[in-house]
Amino acid sequence: MSLLEIKNACLKLDNKNILNGVSLSINSGEVHAIMGPNGSGKSTLSYMLSGRDGYELESGEILLDGQSLSDMSADERARSGLFLAFQYPVELPGVGAMSFLREAVNSRRKFIGQEEFDHLAFVKEARKEASKMFVKDEMLKRAVNVGFSGGEKKKFEILQMAMLKPKVSILDETDSGLDVDALKIVSDGVNAQRSDDNAIVVITHYQRLLDYIVPDFVHILSEGVIIKSGGPELALEVEKNGYAGMINAA
Amino acid sequence: MLHNIKDNYITSVNNYIKNFDDKSFRKLAGKDFKSWPDPLEETWRLSRLGSLSRKKIEPISLDAQEPIMSKLNVVGSNTIKFINGAFRKDMSSNLPKGVSLIELNESESVTFLSKIKNSNLKNHPSANASLSCTPSIVKLSVDKNAKIEELLEIHFEGGVESSSVHPVLFVELNENSSLSIIERFNHTGSLIMPLQLIEIKDYASLNSIKVFDDSHESYNLAAHCIIMSHKSLLNSFSLIKGSQFTRSETHAYLNGTNAKLNLNGVYISGNKQHHDLTTAIYHNVEECISKQIVRGVLGGESTGVFQGKVKVAPNAQKTDGQQMSKAILISDKASANAKPELEIYADDVVCAHGATVGELDDDQLFYLNSRGISKDKARLILIKAFLLDIISESVEETLHDFIFNEAQSALSSILKNEIEEFV
Repeated sequence: MSLLEIKNACLKLDNKNILNGVSLSINSGEVHAIMGPNGSGKSTLSYMLSGRDGYELESGEILLDGQSLSDMSADERARSGLFLAFQYPVELPGVGAMSFLREAVNSRRKFIGQEEFDHLAFVKEARKEASKMFVKDEMLKRAVNVGFSGGEKKKFEILQMAMLKPKVSILDETDSGLDVDALKIVSDGVNAQRSDDNAIVVITHYQRLLDYIVPDFVHILSEGVIIKSGGPELALEVEKNGYAGMINAA
Repeated sequence: MLHNIKDNYITSVNNYIKNFDDKSFRKLAGKDFKSWPDPLEETWRLSRLGSLSRKKIEPISLDAQEPIMSKLNVVGSNTIKFINGAFRKDMSSNLPKGVSLIELNESESVTFLSKIKNSNLKNHPSANASLSCTPSIVKLSVDKNAKIEELLEIHFEGGVESSSVHPVLFVELNENSSLSIIERFNHTGSLIMPLQLIEIKDYASLNSIKVFDDSHESYNLAAHCIIMSHKSLLNSFSLIKGSQFTRSETHAYLNGTNAKLNLNGVYISGNKQHHDLTTAIYHNVEECISKQIVRGVLGGESTGVFQGKVKVAPNAQKTDGQQMSKAILISDKASANAKPELEIYADDVVCAHGATVGELDDDQLFYLNSRGISKDKARLILIKAFLLDIISESVEETLHDFIFNEAQSALSSILKNEIEEFV
């Protein structure tokens, strides 16, 4: 059974059709890349999947591990094991990074019937995971994303992913704003999460990120539909010929 | 004729001062107490005293019954008590060396009165009523060069239904002295009219925290006059949470060069509470700095007001005046008004003001939700963060927890109605 199943998803924003029947089936252990030009509906797809208010499906269905997400709010979806790494992580002045992480992790653990971390145990766990991502202790003492550099913000997203242990992670333009060194750290962090029990969806403009996070499948999204699917070689084709030729052919 | 406080109360105050000598400062004050703030007056337009005027209130009698002692947890090293508006030496602790507390005699009281009368508090109801009816004017003075390490705590308590109380305090910091005080207003009466004059002389500095937490049926009309000299510093933070109606009005006169004033405040309002922070800062000389940050959280059918005026005199060049107010509405029926005002007559100044009233930020809420945190919990986290910021900035570190807990208890009671699974 697929871990994430998107069936003919249609969505309108301000009465404009944005997603026009996206279908995708993602199995455990797989990494899928969704590529597409600006305005193809990539970010809408990620908001729709994560359950942001205003991004409800017009028709179609999404199943996470066999369970329909239609009636679930964003926080319920997250607790059920869906994770979105934001293209632009949001700053939360006054909310300490450590307590934010603990709140998030404990919400998920409670939901799946695991014991919640107490303060000390959590700090220990967070520091351990953070060091793997080269996230400094000092960063965890600051407010969430406040004063973080572009690279730090993305590392913090992947640290959250590592600690939440989601079933399906959607990485929205995770490479944007990263220099080569940060890109490598972030990608290594993502690759370390790959397992037979989860799946990862990488949403990106560029092929560059896919050199580091090598996908099993690549899909091209254009005007709200998937016009072509293939293996990693499809990303190279985009890099070489651009989206235009592919869209015209479709 | 309709019976209302406007008539009754002024008559009561005039009756109260009949027994005093004609030359008494009380009579001098009482003769100016002819009218009650009218809703048409610009500065009272947003904080109308209509429902107060329907109550029958008299100045508290000096033999009023003492209240059952509150169980305020003391955070300071020394406690000064005012009960029913009267200073109670028998209930106050000894003061550290360098600090004195006296009740002003008649001629000193007249001098005090003239200082208030020379300020823009001259027509404030608490100025006139409290100078008429206060048991005594109490002066807290710090000696020249005395640096007081201990935190002084002042409790204003007591009050009886249908009565007004009139604590009048004069805080004087002599040259190069320093002091930290925390004042807590926990009355149960109908009308509380605290009047204060704070004089900070050259190179002196004062940290001042006020927590307004009077009982739900009370009206608190606090009035403060601040006079600052050369290189003096005042860090002032007010938390308004209790009462049915609290208006804290402050007039600050920066009369010495290089004076620095931080005048911050938070109000947390629920049910039908009305909370008002009204300030006026007068930059009268050059190179002074004033900074103001005000935040409000409003639930239920509460209303909040921030009125902040900064007036820069023609010769007050190089003035730096900043003012920022933000209010968050967590219920559809709550409302907030902000009225920042700049009056600048000098040309070389940096002044800025901003005011926002809104709801919690959608992007921030979604970010928290996308991490499995419920909508209610996410709102709570963001509201706390909104206040934590300003509290950490305004309050000495040793008092962070205390003030944050005070804020938290107010938040708990207003959020219970707004947030289902309040934790």
